[in-house]
Amino acid sequence: MTRGILMAAGMVAALLATSCASAGKKQLAVAFSQANNAEPYRAAQNALMAKLFSQDADVKLAISDAQQDNSKQVAQVETFIRQKPDLLIVAPNERAALTAVMGQAMEAHIPVICLERDILQPNYTSYVHSDNVAIGRQAGKFIVDHLTKKYGKPRGQIVAMRGLLGVEGEINRDRGAKEILDQYPEIKIIADPVADWIQAKAKDRMTEVLRSQPKIDVVYGHNDPMAIGAYLAAKELNREKEMIFVGVDGLGGPAGGIKKVMDGILAATFVYPLCVDKAVEIGNRILHEPGFKPDKDYTIDSIMVTPENAAKMYEKFTVGN
Amino acid sequence: MLDLLRRAQSLAALSGILVLAILISPVASDGSRIFLQPGNLTDILRQISLIGIIALAMTFVILTGGIDLSVGSLLAISTTLTAMALTRAWPHASYTSHILRAILASHILRAILAAVAVSTLAGAVNGAVISALRIQPFIVTLASMIGVRGLAKWLSSNENIDIGFGRDVAAEFAAVFRQKAIVIGSYACAAALFWILLARTVFGRHVRAIGDNEKAAEYAGLPIRGTKIWVYSLSGLLSGFAGVLYAAENHQGNPNAGVAYELDAIAAVVIGGTPLTGGKGSISGTIVGTLIMGVLTNMLRLKNVDSNVEMMIKAVIIVLAVAVQGRDSDK
Repeated sequence: MTRGILMAAGMVAALLATSCASAGKKQLAVAFSQANNAEPYRAAQNALMAKLFSQDADVKLAISDAQQDNSKQVAQVETFIRQKPDLLIVAPNERAALTAVMGQAMEAHIPVICLERDILQPNYTSYVHSDNVAIGRQAGKFIVDHLTKKYGKPRGQIVAMRGLLGVEGEINRDRGAKEILDQYPEIKIIADPVADWIQAKAKDRMTEVLRSQPKIDVVYGHNDPMAIGAYLAAKELNREKEMIFVGVDGLGGPAGGIKKVMDGILAATFVYPLCVDKAVEIGNRILHEPGFKPDKDYTIDSIMVTPENAAKMYEKFTVGN
Repeated sequence: MLDLLRRAQSLAALSGILVLAILISPVASDGSRIFLQPGNLTDILRQISLIGIIALAMTFVILTGGIDLSVGSLLAISTTLTAMALTRAWPHASYTSHILRAILASHILRAILAAVAVSTLAGAVNGAVISALRIQPFIVTLASMIGVRGLAKWLSSNENIDIGFGRDVAAEFAAVFRQKAIVIGSYACAAALFWILLARTVFGRHVRAIGDNEKAAEYAGLPIRGTKIWVYSLSGLLSGFAGVLYAAENHQGNPNAGVAYELDAIAAVVIGGTPLTGGKGSISGTIVGTLIMGVLTNMLRLKNVDSNVEMMIKAVIIVLAVAVQGRDSDK
């Protein structure tokens, strides 16, 4: 009994210390519910958001990480709603799971910005996103051009590395590319394993594909880590020169896809905008301009990164410290 | 007496964390503490309900000296089957405005029963293999954790089965079974039933006896095999039921659902004073253990503590809680 009390008392002391630090003058609270910090794209979103909001002394940003678990994210958004932040930003893990709880936030009169992934009902003030179908089409065109140059006509064998099935980005990056590739009967997708966006998984899946497919021209990774994983698998079997690797995401920083284009690993990547700059811009106007009426929908355009413009893009998309 | 003391220990820990949560809770604009708002308190209860339900049966499993690693996968198969049955088996089933009639008469009940039956059956298979082949529960349930996850993904072709928000049976199901009252009520009912089962029935005494000393129980003529099969079946049953609630809560049948839930459930049981060696422990302890984890999570989230720090704090709490109990029971 006494030990139980002692243990609790120890924790009181420890946590009181942290809680005193946050007492101060009235600040504007921004809550950001992130789906999964473990993905580089999302880590970059967090970093950029923290940087942009830190320029505003009166804004206090809190970020929660749902670790790719729907229930966890619903719980975290619920907890944010109790705190009544002045602005709630949600990057939903999956569409269906977050729809209702974001509706609750709207009912509680909290402005909600839905970041990057959509939900089933428009339970948000604004939705800031990119267009994955357009990105898929761009990638498809790049692949067709490459094959035409290589063989004199559009033909060849393609491997697609797919992300988490059922997610909007995966569905549309696949659809956009197929819209273009399907127009050329001699271009064939010979394998499309699922690697859940993860580099390590992509390496394993690509190894199996390499074992069974003697001739591959292009690997189209639905994100850069999967394209890189496929490259590593091919390199291990000394086949990386046989094919090119195309990715999507185009993150800055030493671990991002743009650097991999500079290094000659990826032939091209398509920047999937973090959408954070726009979200912070709209968020700041919601916070500071009482009469501001944001649009329901903001679409951010992609940029193609090839060795020609990679150095310039690297500078642009690397979040400095 | 020792048992009582142990229960008092975890209760004291829970009270300590509650006091702490109240003390450090941020204050709302109307001056009230956010932690104590009824909405927040019921949030906590709803959020712990799924793990709480799974942990009830996990208590029985651990009391027999076993472990069930497959509960997350059993939840996944049930949540997938629930959504599949509702959206594919009867996609055009009619919508009725009277919900009670709909549940009783229709497909919702059948979908739930089918999903729970499959996960219960999978649990029974676990129990049968453990007792018939005398393979360690860790290994058997590790195998079914992998195999059942594969089955769930195979059945759904790796896809999340969307329940949606339309006016059909599936949406109606989600609208009802995601309500706080239903979820928390389900947990409360299951907790009461399992408390009675453990504390007031012959079956409950057998469960404890097996974990306390299996050889002695065998010599005393207790039905060891039957009891074990029942215990793992119950684990399948409750995991399956949690899967039904999960489908409603998330508006989808997700074959990737419930990853690592077994660890949360085991943590709740252990914090609640049931040692992994079995034999002693209680349902009330497990409920307290579940509450400790739930309140802790909520308290740290309300303070916006970094989620990586949150994991570190939880790690310390788990070890502290068990250390405190272990030492006293040695006396």
